Amino acid sequence: MIEFKDVTKKYADDPVLDKVSFLIDKGSFVYLVGPTGSGKTTVFRLIIRDIMPTEGAITLGDWDLLSLPRSRVPHLRRRVGVVFQDLRLLIDRTVAENVMLPLEFSGMSEQEAREKAETVLSEVGLEGKFDKFPLQLSGGERQRVAIARALVFEPEIILADEPTGNLDLETSFQILDLLQTINKKGTTVFMATHNNKLISEATRVIILESGKIIEDKKPGKKSEKKRNFQDEDKLEDREDKTKETGEKIKLETLAKK
Amino acid sequence: MISTVSKYVRRSPYQALSAALIMGLTFFAITVFSILTILSIRFISYFETRPQLTVFFKDSATREEIRDLEKNLSDTGKTSSIKYVSKEEALAIYREQNKSDPILLDLVTADILPASIEVQATQAEFLAGLAGVVRGSPLVEEVIFQKDIVDTLISWTNAARRLGIAIIAILVTVSVLVIITIIGIKITVRREEIETMRLLGATNWFIRAPFLLEGAFYGLLGSLAGGGLVIGLFYYFSPSFESFLRGVAIFPISPLMMLELLAIEVIVACLLGVFASYLAVLRYLK
Repeated sequence: MIEFKDVTKKYADDPVLDKVSFLIDKGSFVYLVGPTGSGKTTVFRLIIRDIMPTEGAITLGDWDLLSLPRSRVPHLRRRVGVVFQDLRLLIDRTVAENVMLPLEFSGMSEQEAREKAETVLSEVGLEGKFDKFPLQLSGGERQRVAIARALVFEPEIILADEPTGNLDLETSFQILDLLQTINKKGTTVFMATHNNKLISEATRVIILESGKIIEDKKPGKKSEKKRNFQDEDKLEDREDKTKETGEKIKLETLAKK
Repeated sequence: MISTVSKYVRRSPYQALSAALIMGLTFFAITVFSILTILSIRFISYFETRPQLTVFFKDSATREEIRDLEKNLSDTGKTSSIKYVSKEEALAIYREQNKSDPILLDLVTADILPASIEVQATQAEFLAGLAGVVRGSPLVEEVIFQKDIVDTLISWTNAARRLGIAIIAILVTVSVLVIITIIGIKITVRREEIETMRLLGATNWFIRAPFLLEGAFYGLLGSLAGGGLVIGLFYYFSPSFESFLRGVAIFPISPLMMLELLAIEVIVACLLGVFASYLAVLRYLK
């Protein structure tokens, strides 16, 4: 379904991904795990050809993404449903209008697009919220809108970039259940997260760190490097803040002298 | 697509108003100069079809003496026609031209109007020689050389046309720049939305089309307002112009011609709006 072969992505000689290779089968559910800055979002951006790799090859089905003409990129993006990390919901459009948006590109009539959007929104549990604006919804509901928008084209694969990023654990599990239900219907789900608490052992997990795959755990096996990157990120944040406070105190002391 | 355009316009009404106003001003000027051009062409062609040389005679000149002079002119072989207009015929022409003004009719009689001959030359360059033939005659009161009038008119209208073209060129440039700026601001403001649409699979055309249509909309609105206003004012003041230019048959101007002018302006304005938007799209939507 999706294959990365020795993919490297550099920004000004600084590698964000370093010879990354993996193959994701059709209909599977795969987690992409790693701390902030490990290259998870870069993997997704490469799949939708938002950026091009510096080296390596990427294929989606029978499409070679590197040689895909620019005019075909919109078609590629309709094959792949994306739930963005920052959701990218349009705040001046209603929930239904947000979900209808990708259908408008395909030239579907407004009436038809609305019916389809409402059906998908009902499937993700948002009946009665069609005419609300994103800012009138809770965090979990907004995630569902983003998932509905990714689903509306009936894509072959869903890329979910930290879909539970800012949600509490209960809501995170609800979103996860939703994605698993979608996967059971045959859609491939590739989900990035840094929250190990969400990952079940029955699923495949690719662990990225500093742009390299440090483990590709197959379903049913125990991870050798299972860590909670969310906690690590929090710890890093705390260390940064402590450093900042220390620097501030130092500067203030120097200023007083 | 249309609803997207109307949403874009409604979201920033002042920008839309500025774009439509500058387009309106441009097409106001274009319509003014177009109408002036139509009128000047008619004005000049009116004079061009008039006799090229009109010779007015003193009251003492008899018909026989005038005939002799006509013969002298014919004998040069440079005339294509010579038409005699008697005092009575001159009065009839005067009455026809001033039939709506009884005071003027009462004041004038055939006695005070001179007899004249209207001479057409076979070639324009013969006119000076023909004028020389009649100017020396003691029968002749005045010789009007039509070519001088036409030449003066042509030079005036050419100067006015050049001025008009310069003003229009400046206004068109300003309109294009204003639309580029407005569409550019809109693209910048909506950059995130555009990026999201792109990532969701929107084609370039889908993203660009509303901005191009918005430019066309400003053109449509501006040309209808500017052009419509001038045409309306022209018809409103037409009777006054007609009375001012009494005797010069350049009126009426057919409403169909004006509609055609407006239609052409609308098309040009829409294309201009699309062109300006396209430049903005090229600049800001890479």
